[in-house]
Amino acid sequence: MAANIIETSGLTRSYGDICALKPLDLRVAEGEWLSVMGHSGSGKSTLLNIMGGLDRPSGGSLRVGEEDLLALTEDGLARFRRDYVGIIFQQHHLVPYLSAVENVMLAQYFHSVPDEAEARSALERVGLGHRLKNRPGELSGGEQQRVCIARAIINSPKLLLGDEPTGNLDHKSTLMIMELLRELRAEERFTVIMVTHNQEVATWGDRTIYLDDGVLVREERNEQGES
Amino acid sequence: MLFRILKNSFLKRPKAVFLVFLSIAMGAAVATAFLGIAGEVSHKMALELRSYGANILLEPAAVEGGGVLHEEDLPKIKTVFWKYNITGFTPYLFGVAEISSGTKRERGVVTGTWFNKQLEVEGEAPTVQGIKVIAPWWDLRGRWPEAADEAIVGAALAKRLGTAVGKELVTTVGGRSRRFRVAGIVTTGGFEEEQLFAPLVTVQELLQKQGKVSRVLVSALTVPMDDFGRKDPAGMNKDDYEKWYCTAYVTSVAKNVEEVMAGSRAKPIWQIASAEGALLKKLNGVMIFLTILALGSAATAVSTSLMASMAERSSEIALMKAVGADRFQISSIFLGETLIISIAGGIIGYLIGDRLGVFISRTVFNSTIISPLWLFPTAIISALVVALAGSVAPLRRALLIEPVRVLKG
Ligand SMILES: Nc1ncnc2c1ncn2[C@@H]1O[C@H](COP(=O)(O)OP(=O)(O)O)[C@@H](O)[C@H]1O
Ligand SMILES: [Mg+2]
Repeated sequence: MAANIIETSGLTRSYGDICALKPLDLRVAEGEWLSVMGHSGSGKSTLLNIMGGLDRPSGGSLRVGEEDLLALTEDGLARFRRDYVGIIFQQHHLVPYLSAVENVMLAQYFHSVPDEAEARSALERVGLGHRLKNRPGELSGGEQQRVCIARAIINSPKLLLGDEPTGNLDHKSTLMIMELLRELRAEERFTVIMVTHNQEVATWGDRTIYLDDGVLVREERNEQGES
Repeated sequence: MLFRILKNSFLKRPKAVFLVFLSIAMGAAVATAFLGIAGEVSHKMALELRSYGANILLEPAAVEGGGVLHEEDLPKIKTVFWKYNITGFTPYLFGVAEISSGTKRERGVVTGTWFNKQLEVEGEAPTVQGIKVIAPWWDLRGRWPEAADEAIVGAALAKRLGTAVGKELVTTVGGRSRRFRVAGIVTTGGFEEEQLFAPLVTVQELLQKQGKVSRVLVSALTVPMDDFGRKDPAGMNKDDYEKWYCTAYVTSVAKNVEEVMAGSRAKPIWQIASAEGALLKKLNGVMIFLTILALGSAATAVSTSLMASMAERSSEIALMKAVGADRFQISSIFLGETLIISIAGGIIGYLIGDRLGVFISRTVFNSTIISPLWLFPTAIISALVVALAGSVAPLRRALLIEPVRVLKG
């Protein structure tokens, strides 16, 4: 079995009285595709954000790769995010006044230097070679999500996080996105952690964990994902 | 890339950008206009203040009795280094005489002076000198003397003698008598009301002091005293002395005049000189205060509009942070934006403010100003200061945005 890219122990996150994440021990293997399920408010996003360095835990320990995330400063976390993590949101969150290729270049800009040719080929890889100059408003939901994926993978992250990336998409678009992610993972060998409401989407992963009220209640291996 | 972000963000939100631009341009315009006319205002004010009395007194250097000054030296006052700062001067020759009008008589001071004398100095433009120039506040009933036997009588003296404009007086000194026609009665509120003023030449004859003068009052435009000005020039090295001499302190102008009047000692009249200095300092203070106030309100306006656009852009900022922008990168985008706007605002503000300054000095002071070279960089710097000051709060807010809260799905 491969080394663990993520290890948490006793990881908690509380908002005042609300305990969004109860002490959680979790290991994610390098290259694994982990699906996270649970009903609304169960702490899925909280967990994902903490692992992506977007939020800080209230307690416990969290190691991602070589980094002890609790020890990082704010700018240290920013550097961690740009070097290590690609994130795909349910709401896309593209900059509305930038074209598709510029949105991808934005991530390059914060990471190192923008390279338009590279950004273009990333969009070609997600099947958007013909929509480079379009603004997000001119793209369909599925297309916007592809731009997000291109942006997420442009800096070759070790960790790809998705917070219900297909939540707003129809069945057909969902399948296309999942297929695309699977292909990209095969090439880039990044680790995927994907929060979803959709049982079928979850089965694309190697393993699914179930959260309930901030507690990991169940986990299972998926046969389909292994294939 | 930064350029693309900035360009697009400008094009996307022209209204917000324009608002910020407008605030900065207005601040820079007001600062430019104020600072541009500040010099002119101070100058006009100083000129105005000169009408409140002479600020330099020239006396004979010899302490006891005997010392006198010489009338022939007077024109030299218009040739000294600081001649253009000397707005006027007048000589005085004092003597005690018996003054009689009809049956009434008393001993009093007779003063020989210039009233409004046309002074021609070789190589210089002709000027008018005398009491009329140096003491414009004199409240004169009647008119200024024109002939050698016309005089002005102080109001108190005139009352005691029961004389009036048009009547005659006789003054007697050592057996010599001189008859005067009263041209005017003067009220000043001071010791002048006790004296009789007559043309210098006439009084010199009366007192048998031809060509002599007892003191000279000089009115000069000066700069407020500072610590350097208060130093004793006697103890200065050559460079310092030169700097002191070439600064229009009341003391250095006094020194200047003293040098051309043989046997004289010049003293600043401190009540006047220091009151004037204090007033000019206050005036400058007010101008600077108003400028800062204008810049401050511009900065507030910038802050408000940036704050509003920051709220609008919070998801954009959150996203930038989420994909890994650190505080420095976020700051450089926003400061880059304000920098560009502020340079544009500074240039436009300068152009407007410069015109405004010219307009103000033409309508208010009736004079044409040439804006100093430092005004342009000052306008740009004020625009930058306004922009930076206005950016502090919005930028803080941007840096405090937590991506997870904003991007919550
Ligand atoms: N910023 C916040 N402030 C207060 N409570 C929060 C905040 N974010 C999340 N929560 C709470 O934490 C719990 C878990 O939220 P979340 O992780 O978003 O759930 P999920 O993604 O599974 O729907 C919820 O009860 C939610 O109300
Ligand atoms: Mg969620």
